[in-house]
Amino acid sequence: MNDQIIWIVLKRLRTPFLVIIVTFSISILGLMLIPGADNSGKVYYMSFFDAFYFVSYTASTIGFGETPYTFTYPQRMWVSASIYITVIGWFYGIGTIISLIQDETLRKAINRNSFRREILGLVEPFYIILGYNSITKSIINRVNKNEFRVVVLDRSEEKIEELILENFYPNVPAFVGEASNQKMLQIAGIHQKNCFGVISLFENDAKNTEIATICRLLNKKVDVIVKASAPQHLEYFKSIGLEHVQNPFEIISKRMYYSITAPHIWLLEMWIYGHALNLRNRDLLPHGKYIICGYGRMGIAIEEGLKKAGIDYIFFDINSEEYKQRKDTTIFGDEEDVTKLLELGIMDSECIIAATKDDLLNLTILNKAKVLNPDIYTIARENSLDGINIFQAAKIDRIYILEQILADTTYNYLAQPLTEIFIQEIRKKDEEWAVVIVNMLHTITGANPDYFELQITQENAYALSLELSKETKVTLSNLRRSREDRNKLLHIVYLLLKRGEEIYLMPESHMEIQLEDQLLIVCDDEGRNDFEYIINNIHELNYVLTSKEKSYNFFQKKD
Amino acid sequence: MSMDKIVSGFFFILAMTLNFGFFIGDITVIEQHSAFELFAAIIINIIATILKLGDKTQLGAVLLATSLVADIQLIASATVWAFAEYVLGGLNVESTTAIVSLSGGALLANVVSVILFVGDTIKSKR
Repeated sequence: MNDQIIWIVLKRLRTPFLVIIVTFSISILGLMLIPGADNSGKVYYMSFFDAFYFVSYTASTIGFGETPYTFTYPQRMWVSASIYITVIGWFYGIGTIISLIQDETLRKAINRNSFRREILGLVEPFYIILGYNSITKSIINRVNKNEFRVVVLDRSEEKIEELILENFYPNVPAFVGEASNQKMLQIAGIHQKNCFGVISLFENDAKNTEIATICRLLNKKVDVIVKASAPQHLEYFKSIGLEHVQNPFEIISKRMYYSITAPHIWLLEMWIYGHALNLRNRDLLPHGKYIICGYGRMGIAIEEGLKKAGIDYIFFDINSEEYKQRKDTTIFGDEEDVTKLLELGIMDSECIIAATKDDLLNLTILNKAKVLNPDIYTIARENSLDGINIFQAAKIDRIYILEQILADTTYNYLAQPLTEIFIQEIRKKDEEWAVVIVNMLHTITGANPDYFELQITQENAYALSLELSKETKVTLSNLRRSREDRNKLLHIVYLLLKRGEEIYLMPESHMEIQLEDQLLIVCDDEGRNDFEYIINNIHELNYVLTSKEKSYNFFQKKD
Repeated sequence: MSMDKIVSGFFFILAMTLNFGFFIGDITVIEQHSAFELFAAIIINIIATILKLGDKTQLGAVLLATSLVADIQLIASATVWAFAEYVLGGLNVESTTAIVSLSGGALLANVVSVILFVGDTIKSKR
């Protein structure tokens, strides 16, 4: 790749170089052969150096005048001819170099080169994101800060420019390139050891399949995170060994189910994704009859959830594209539509879900439904993040934003893998258990707790790992003491402990911590800070464990 | 037979022969070495170098390298000459030897270049 630039330059510069050399040598030779005269009128022949000096400054239009002696007429005649040929040759050469700098091919080659160098220079682990859009942008925004670096490939130049204008810090190397192009993937660093994975969340399942296959073939170790919604693609992904397949519809289906049958489990899951940790009235789904508008992938997913939860539902088969063609509008709600809604029993239904592919159609369906039945609970599917404000303004009770769900789950997978395990584990529990947990979190860590993940390593927990390597026994409850007064409790709750492949949900407080344990911890505002202080600072840890404040003397031998 | 091959072959060999012409003679006597011949050798060598630019093959790269060596040696030779003449105030045996032996080095590079070129020609089946 590097050579390519040199070759492009050299090939283009061949002719201008030749022109310059030939014109220069002709004029130099001429000047040397033509006799001149020195100040006293004696015949003088210019030396090579004289001639070279004169031609050099004349051709480049600097023009110092006639040296070493004033020229004779034959010399001047030769010089006037050679000025034309050398200056033209010189300008031609310069012009070629300038046009070369502006050359599109060359610029692309240079850009690609610097992109490649930048990626080779990455030392942190990174992910390759294919396609730049609002989903991946929100992933980049969150991931790029601390955990990983990101590399972006997108087919469209506009998108890449948009990304560059975004000024991410640390810088996100980005380049124009087809995602399914092997060469581009290689340049993007798929072979590199610190490339952790490839993220492909295209709308088109077939494209994701193609990309996943290529990535797998290029590098077996790399993790491929893809989106898929059709069952045959899901199966294929499993067969090529992809662990993480993003299916937003499946997530929605599960959320519907838990939201109806076990709202507190739903709450815990949503809290992981940023929802406040309390159930408001509008978070509770009704148990009456549901109307689902649109029998597409989303409609089927919702059906699955409702069926499992034992809810009565009816489909309103409306296809956004067909509707648009037939009525030439995306505004729902003429007389025919109203009759249809009434026929479906809008008046005695408790919930309506607008799940078509068209955002505007979804909005207008729900508006009309609200007009007909003001008490009805409304759920909308929102396809892209761009229109989020309109949906919020429309006072819809619940919105499923596909892009948001994809971004959230992908981010959690990348940066907080324990949260995903946590969600899977709590789904195995029942509602009563979840109520207890939510109450416990409220009493210990306040109304709106935060959470963080931590692995016990020397880097993250210096003091603790030091202590553990001395084979001191440290239990979870040992660490739950305040560093101000060890008789007081720190405001943290251990949600999950992962040791190798074993998972402990709500681990017992007398469990001993081992090196390499991964913890998911809930905390209040100060809890995280305090906890990290304790596990990193030997003095704090010592106090918390033994209540003694050791004083260190540098001249004393350490024990 | 292609025009490209004729032109480049012509310049490669001319570069070597001119170089040889300048080099031959008593190494300490500047009168036996023509300044014009050195000038011609430099120009032809540079032209030969430019003709070798942009050849992506392995052989092309080696040819270019030998040519660059010859250029540098010949230009150094001319520079020594100009420096001795104008700055040191005249040629002596030492500078003359330097000028001629530098061109001798260039000659070696040129010979290597021509051998490679001829070898490539013999190897090609057409």
